[in-house]
Amino acid sequence: MIAFILKRFAQGLLVLIGVSFATFIVAHLSGDPVELMARENATLQDKQDLREFLGLDRPLGAQYLSFVTGALQGDLGYSFVQRAPVTDLIAERLPATLLLAAAGFLLALAIAIPLGILSALKHNTGWDIAITSVAMIGQAAPGFWIGLMLVVLFAVEWQLLPVSGSGTPAHLVLPALTLALQSSARLTRLVRASVLEVLSADYIRTARSKGLRERTVLFIHAFRGAMIPVVTMAGLELAELVSGAFITETIFAWPGVGRLAVNAVAQRDFPVIQGVVLLAAVFFVVINFLVDLLYVVIDPRVRLR
Amino acid sequence: MSLTRTWASRLAIMASLALVPTYVAAQDAPVVIASSEDVISLDPHMLDSNNPTGSVIWSLFDSLVRRGPDGSPVPRLATAWERIDDVTWRFTLRQGVKFSNGEDFNAAAVVTNFARMDTAPFNSVQQLHDQTGLKEVKVIDDYTIDLITEKPTVNMLYWLAEAFIAAPGQISTVSPDEAATTPAGSGPYVLGEWKRGDQITLLANESYWGGAPAVKTVVFRAVPEVSSRLNELRAGTVDLVVGITPDASDQANSDVSDLVQIEGLRKMHMGISIKGEQPALADPKVRQALNHAVDVPTITATLLAGTTSPLLSIVNPPNNNPDLAAFAYDPEKAKALLAEAGFPDGFPLTIQWSTRFDGGKEVSEVVGSYLEAVGIQPTYEAVELAAFRASLGSASLKGIYFQGWAALINPSVELVILTCGHVDNSSGYCNPDYDKLVIEASQTLDDTARKSLEFQAQAIIWNDAPWLYLWRLPSFFGISKKLAYDFRADNYLEPYLITYK
Repeated sequence: MIAFILKRFAQGLLVLIGVSFATFIVAHLSGDPVELMARENATLQDKQDLREFLGLDRPLGAQYLSFVTGALQGDLGYSFVQRAPVTDLIAERLPATLLLAAAGFLLALAIAIPLGILSALKHNTGWDIAITSVAMIGQAAPGFWIGLMLVVLFAVEWQLLPVSGSGTPAHLVLPALTLALQSSARLTRLVRASVLEVLSADYIRTARSKGLRERTVLFIHAFRGAMIPVVTMAGLELAELVSGAFITETIFAWPGVGRLAVNAVAQRDFPVIQGVVLLAAVFFVVINFLVDLLYVVIDPRVRLR
Repeated sequence: MSLTRTWASRLAIMASLALVPTYVAAQDAPVVIASSEDVISLDPHMLDSNNPTGSVIWSLFDSLVRRGPDGSPVPRLATAWERIDDVTWRFTLRQGVKFSNGEDFNAAAVVTNFARMDTAPFNSVQQLHDQTGLKEVKVIDDYTIDLITEKPTVNMLYWLAEAFIAAPGQISTVSPDEAATTPAGSGPYVLGEWKRGDQITLLANESYWGGAPAVKTVVFRAVPEVSSRLNELRAGTVDLVVGITPDASDQANSDVSDLVQIEGLRKMHMGISIKGEQPALADPKVRQALNHAVDVPTITATLLAGTTSPLLSIVNPPNNNPDLAAFAYDPEKAKALLAEAGFPDGFPLTIQWSTRFDGGKEVSEVVGSYLEAVGIQPTYEAVELAAFRASLGSASLKGIYFQGWAALINPSVELVILTCGHVDNSSGYCNPDYDKLVIEASQTLDDTARKSLEFQAQAIIWNDAPWLYLWRLPSFFGISKKLAYDFRADNYLEPYLITYK
């Protein structure tokens, strides 16, 4: 067990180094942030002064090294545009993103798992066709359309919920629903396929022939087997959600990390870009690790190596 | 009581309690302003955009002089001013003003702040020193200062409007991120709370020298999506909306809100790159032909739904030369001019745009189709914003490009941008006669004489056509029916001028 954890930690560290290096290179290749920060008619001398002030005239290797040493001490640098520590900027927005991600994720699971199981049990009946069609529409419909339609219906027409913003539980409903509808569309079909596959397995036939109740067969035996691919996919969905759902955050003016990240890219705010991408990579690494641990719990055949 | 009735009565009580907050008196409810982005920084010398950052800075801080909506100077922290010689402006400062942290406003405060504005990183954002040639701030006594420039300038009052004064002790000792988050100004509002990326709350400064504002609490919210801003306005949860695109503008009219349209100040045009890839553009006849080839009135009537009209000068009203007329739509004359210049079969031309202004692609394509009709062969190119700005600065765009410029009312600034080698001169236009007139005008202190020189300069450049003239960009705002406020054309909002109807 200890060996497994240490190995995964080392692998995670390699991933983070690789990601941070790639982000650094790509961000710098995208162009000169000073062009966007200085006013349009700034003199060349002013722009050069700004470059020196931001440390952009140092050699690339030196800039990357100072970023890495800072990051290891928990200092992700200073935002070029907002003149604030990147760690503060991210920390201010992270709770909002985590809240939205958790709400969207749990809602997605609450929709996808029952519907997926239902459509698998009643497969090829009317129920199945209805659920699968809705799931396909949900997967094809763009996220901003779903979000805007929900706003038009619930906030403008029926005035049941606020249009945008954050602060009360009512503000969380529509954005979480927007994320959940997209996620659950993908997960429903996966749950259905997974359950169908498992239901035709030998060990299920054995369980039935032992005389167990159908409910026990389903929820104790079949469910656990079917969950492995679902857990993998759900883990990826969660990791994506915590990196910030930019489109949903824009439509609902939700003050999360997604908008911070995309604005930073548009403004070429390198420290913020690097900080946010590093954070997203950390989340991916951690969630994948937890998913692997979960496998052992679900499926006794799996051993940690 | 039965169980159902207990629950029913509990629900009724909870529901009625939920309604209580809505019965707060209208005057105590905050005025909520929705813009497409959040305030970037509260550092008064890092002002990058007029709204919302500029509007908030203007509410928290003050400057010596402010620009009125018609461009004239309004006394703020300076109560009087005079020129004592060609290069020296003497300002009398307002007495009895305190900053929000208790420091006093006096001449030393002005010296500290202006010095800070002239150092990195502020000097790449500030314009006062570069545009006026300010070289020294001399303290005469606690409430009198002299601003001394290198050469005579008529623009001192104009550029002082954005030279904000913060508490000198605080601004010179505090760290950069504290400067960005803890403002110590002398304006009509003080900072309540700032949730970065989300909203900022300003509270009225009851001891403001100009009298406490009518609106006691102002909230600036960042709502990036224009349809969300309009939906909030219609639902009554937002009172003022900034940044409405023309196609969505009539959604601002509802039972609780009104659309307000202002003729804007930004002059949209296709810049003509004289030193670009197409040498034909160096001939004024060719440039005049381009202007005659495009039917600008039809474009404004259709693409812009008649919300604006064609440009009449490179200088905004009320300072434009009234004798100038827009180039008439005359494709035959355009072809004749092209033939005279030696291009009877037209020539290839690259048309570029960036994301800096909405509608760049549509306008470029429409203009290109008109040019095609007179024999020019256009190719279209979208340019990434920072690359576009770099090309503007080095006057190295390829052909013609969609651009908007000089959204202000100040003829000497509006004219100087097209002088030879000026940093704003992205077209590469260079006419020494024009330069002479413009420089002379900027140093002429007598108003009538200066105006006549400016009119002459406008006439020269209008006919030389360094731009394919288009229109002034209209601004759309939404306002709740409960409030009264006159919007400015330069997009700054002044919440302390908002009143309840």
